Amino acid sequence: MREQQDGLAESLYWLIRLRWFAVGGVVLTTLFADKVLGLGLDYGKLYSLAAALCAYNFLFLLYLNRVRASDRPDLPVITNRLANSQIPLDLLSLAALLHFSGGPENPFAYYFFFHMIIASILLSRRASYLQAAFASVLFLLVSGLEYSGQWRHYCINGPGFCFLGEGSLPLLGSSAAFVSTLFIAVYMASSVSLKLRQKEATLRQANLQLKEKDKIKSNYVLRVSHDVKEHLAAIQACLDPVLHGLTGPLAPGQEDLLRRSYARTEKLLVFVKALLEITRLKLSKKIETGPFSLLKTAENAVRLVEERAGEKKIKLAWSVAPGVDIINGAQIYIEETIANFLANSIKYTPEGGSVELAITDEGEKVRIRVTDTGMGVPGDDLPHLFEEFFRARNARATERNGTGLGLSIAKEVAEKHKGSIWVESQEGKGASFYLILPKNAD
Amino acid sequence: MAKILIIDDDPDIVESMRIILESCRHKVKVAKNGAEGLKEAKAAKYDLIILDVMMETMSTGFEVARGLRESRENKTVPILMLTAIKESTGLDFNSEVGDKDWLPVNAYLEKPLKPNELLVKVEALLKGDAPKGK
Repeated sequence: MREQQDGLAESLYWLIRLRWFAVGGVVLTTLFADKVLGLGLDYGKLYSLAAALCAYNFLFLLYLNRVRASDRPDLPVITNRLANSQIPLDLLSLAALLHFSGGPENPFAYYFFFHMIIASILLSRRASYLQAAFASVLFLLVSGLEYSGQWRHYCINGPGFCFLGEGSLPLLGSSAAFVSTLFIAVYMASSVSLKLRQKEATLRQANLQLKEKDKIKSNYVLRVSHDVKEHLAAIQACLDPVLHGLTGPLAPGQEDLLRRSYARTEKLLVFVKALLEITRLKLSKKIETGPFSLLKTAENAVRLVEERAGEKKIKLAWSVAPGVDIINGAQIYIEETIANFLANSIKYTPEGGSVELAITDEGEKVRIRVTDTGMGVPGDDLPHLFEEFFRARNARATERNGTGLGLSIAKEVAEKHKGSIWVESQEGKGASFYLILPKNAD
Repeated sequence: MAKILIIDDDPDIVESMRIILESCRHKVKVAKNGAEGLKEAKAAKYDLIILDVMMETMSTGFEVARGLRESRENKTVPILMLTAIKESTGLDFNSEVGDKDWLPVNAYLEKPLKPNELLVKVEALLKGDAPKGK
């Protein structure tokens, strides 16, 4: 519902933009009629009408901006009312323009149809027919009053324009054609927009159902992985004392197999933990945030991976721009994301390479960048890198271990902070991972 | 040598802890749930209580910890809590450990347990110079 009403507000902005063009059109056409064609009309009145159009368009724009900014609960009612009142006002302006520029003789009378199409897009079918009726009344009124001589007829001084003085038949003919075309236009345009609206509603419904199903799936994954994790933890707990020799010495063959079992449960545990984390993040609407030191967090993340970098003789550098320190966010997740970037880079950078973490100030935001001299990401794989369970082709080939969940967790963390995350890379030429976070995420 | 009470409803984890602790010549008593744990802690005097946070329900461990502190016998006995809380909620307990109303324990350990970590923590608590938190 909310989206639908936002849609209507968007359409109103569109209508306001169209009206600026209309104002320009009126002014240019009048200038042309005056300076080039010399049609001898009352140009002052036409310019005044253009000015009036301009003025009320400006007022509508101001009002719409204010209503939207105030976030009032009755916004849908207001936008609907605004849509319903703007179109008759436009019809009135057009009728007045017409009256001062030849009445029914003015070929631009057909511009009424644009209003019918706009009405059919913005309003209900019934309201659109009402607008068509109103337009017909205006047209017939102007024509009738001018024909009967009760209103002054501003004649266009051009050959073939004046038919008002030639009896009632041309006028009746053009009126009948005009009015029937108005209604047919509304019928056709509203049929199309009705179908579109129905389709949109169906899609919205389907999308909602999908989201619901996804939630059920996530809850299921959460339960299963939680249970699996508990058993794994117990298996490890039982293997640990045996491996530490607390139950007596082990024969070398026994110890080797037990170590292998332990290593496999460890891998499974890492995977299940990551699965739990991503699922929990996806299910939670918000994460707990608070002020924390990004400087310390970066340092912690670096400490976590230092040893591994040292083993591979990888040069690990890090810097935090002066002035960047306390920000608001979920510290644990941000530390994890930075550590994750770093660990990834170290994992896929060959011995002797370098990995650099740089945090810079971007005003309202901070930019966290990790750059490495590693194997890079193949172009085909780049758009999928943050998808769940995805692992790049060259990453799978060089490193068997990896859950394919680390970066999808990072993406979820970025989204929960209303930040952004991306990677820039060329295969064989290293990679740069970026995380942009607002300083005041709530 | 110290007398240690383990309150945990997972028999496999309990067995593993028992073996680890007994290897350091501690005497271990096991309670299979919160109620049994509270009763046991009143019946005998212990040097240390190891308490699993999640037993029958998510909050059992918290209730047991507060229950222990309410009884005269266990006002000051060191309590080591076992949790998987950081992992499951993203909460960090460090700042809350020792809070009398909320979490009246002396230290906590994240599961899965590593034998060395458990022993280091236990020895520290028994000596009375438990570092706060993890």
